[in-house]
Amino acid sequence: MSSVNQEEEELPANHTGPKGVINDWRRYKLDSVDQTVPQKKRELLRQMSNPRDDDKERQNRKMSAQEYELIQEEDERCLKRYRKQCMQEMHERLSFGPKFECVHELESGEAFLEVIEKEHRLTLVVVHIYQHGVKGCEQMNSCLDCLAAEYPTVKFCRIDAVATGAAERFSSEVLPTLLVYKAGELLGNFLAITKHFNEEFFATDVEGFLNEYGLLSEKEFSACGDDEDDAGEVE
Amino acid sequence: MGEMEQLRKEAESLKDQITAARKAVQDSTLQEAAAGITVVGRIQMKTRKTLRGHLAKIYAMHWSTDSKLCVSASQDGKLIVWDSVTTNKVNAIPLKSSWVMTCAYAPSGNLVACGGLDNMCSIYNLKGKDGNVKVMRELAAHTGYLSCCRFISDTEIITSSGDCTCILWDIETGTQKTVFAGHQGDCMSLAVAPDFKCFISGACDFTAKLWDIREGTCRQTFGGHESDVNAIGFFPNGNAVITGSDDATLKLFDLRADQELITYQDSSIMCGVTSLAPSLSGRLLLAGYDDFNVNIWDMLKAERVGKYMWKLYIPLENGRKVDPAEDSEGSCRVAAGTEH
Repeated sequence: MSSVNQEEEELPANHTGPKGVINDWRRYKLDSVDQTVPQKKRELLRQMSNPRDDDKERQNRKMSAQEYELIQEEDERCLKRYRKQCMQEMHERLSFGPKFECVHELESGEAFLEVIEKEHRLTLVVVHIYQHGVKGCEQMNSCLDCLAAEYPTVKFCRIDAVATGAAERFSSEVLPTLLVYKAGELLGNFLAITKHFNEEFFATDVEGFLNEYGLLSEKEFSACGDDEDDAGEVE
Repeated sequence: MGEMEQLRKEAESLKDQITAARKAVQDSTLQEAAAGITVVGRIQMKTRKTLRGHLAKIYAMHWSTDSKLCVSASQDGKLIVWDSVTTNKVNAIPLKSSWVMTCAYAPSGNLVACGGLDNMCSIYNLKGKDGNVKVMRELAAHTGYLSCCRFISDTEIITSSGDCTCILWDIETGTQKTVFAGHQGDCMSLAVAPDFKCFISGACDFTAKLWDIREGTCRQTFGGHESDVNAIGFFPNGNAVITGSDDATLKLFDLRADQELITYQDSSIMCGVTSLAPSLSGRLLLAGYDDFNVNIWDMLKAERVGKYMWKLYIPLENGRKVDPAEDSEGSCRVAAGTEH
């Protein structure tokens, strides 16, 4: 996990749990070093990631003695800036990947399989199976048209049940159906999805539904970074 | 034969004896025993509530025993106590250090604790006389970061640390009652048994250890993982231990058989497990991974029955009560509800 020999080496990547905290702290330390003094940064890097491969005992220890000494009272302004940076990075991670503009029409079962298997592993694929004349399908299509514009990182598709080559599976009772995939895996399978909505439903209803299952990322998350959170206040 | 050589041979022979003893009691495998049980089917998790308020990554959270209140700790230097039913913040406690790794809610509901890179465990009294939440004690003795803490009662708390030890503290006097030493690597997490007589710890020496709280001794050690054990928890009935590791697997160890029952792994999962929570019934296991995904496992059949992607909020699971929480950066996956 650790191997630092280059200058701009990325430190070990545990993002969560106590190791996540250690890595965040390390990055914070590196960032807060004056950028115009590259020597300092190199020194810090050296201090933080001693090559542990030759010392088996050190391999089981996540923080070096020198690092413990570096922990101290932090400048609140620097911390605030760093937190914002962290949040921004997480956002970028969420919106990384190819962008789409509108709902794609899939012409066949093969096209369907291809889109599920070939898309970027971070891209969420939402497929709407519809059929002309079945109640709710047209409404769903217009809802997805809206959502496709608002969620450019999600690939919205639709396919006519007949075109799938498995029309018998998709009787009008289970339509419209929404299938959600990511990296080739089925994450959500919503048959007759309109049973969850009122007769007249809108893009926000579909959006809210998908959000409930954690399938859509939040469009824009303002971390209220500039507001001071009053301590001890009860709401 | 030199002394070292002799001792080495003795150690090897003891290890063989242990392996043989374990094999002798293994009359079946979990797969065989669970073969006739009906499949669970796909689980689709649903958000019940979203708790908003932290201004930065959330590093840890813990439920109160009433399953309504919970406490979370964030990089923004705050400990927030939430009422998960109303989504209101009951308390917002400012911390001295932003690098908090763990937080805990006392079974009584009177105290909360947290700790991290400051190497200390700070105890806060939520029910102070004048209504303000103040630091009650700062338990300092560890020479490494505080990775996890769990209350036994209002007077005792256990902490695990990056200095490879766990400590049982007397909160009233702020002193160490017992030091549990034995791990060869940073202790990453701990869990207290339902009967409060023992606790388990997972460490960067790839093992999990079962400790007797009163005796202060290590009763059992569970190996098998190929990397750090990051997360650990008791199976609801207290007879088994679940571990999650950087080797991308989770393992179930039976305490009485003193061996591993099953490994939860999938060739498509390549990143480490950093948190876990079994459902109340013990049928399901929620595992949080370092790539911000949560996989839901059928504990008996060792199959994945669901997946949940990391989102920037705190969702609650539909229909099943799961005690502790999943945590991942920026969000907490907390699960509660009522078991049908």
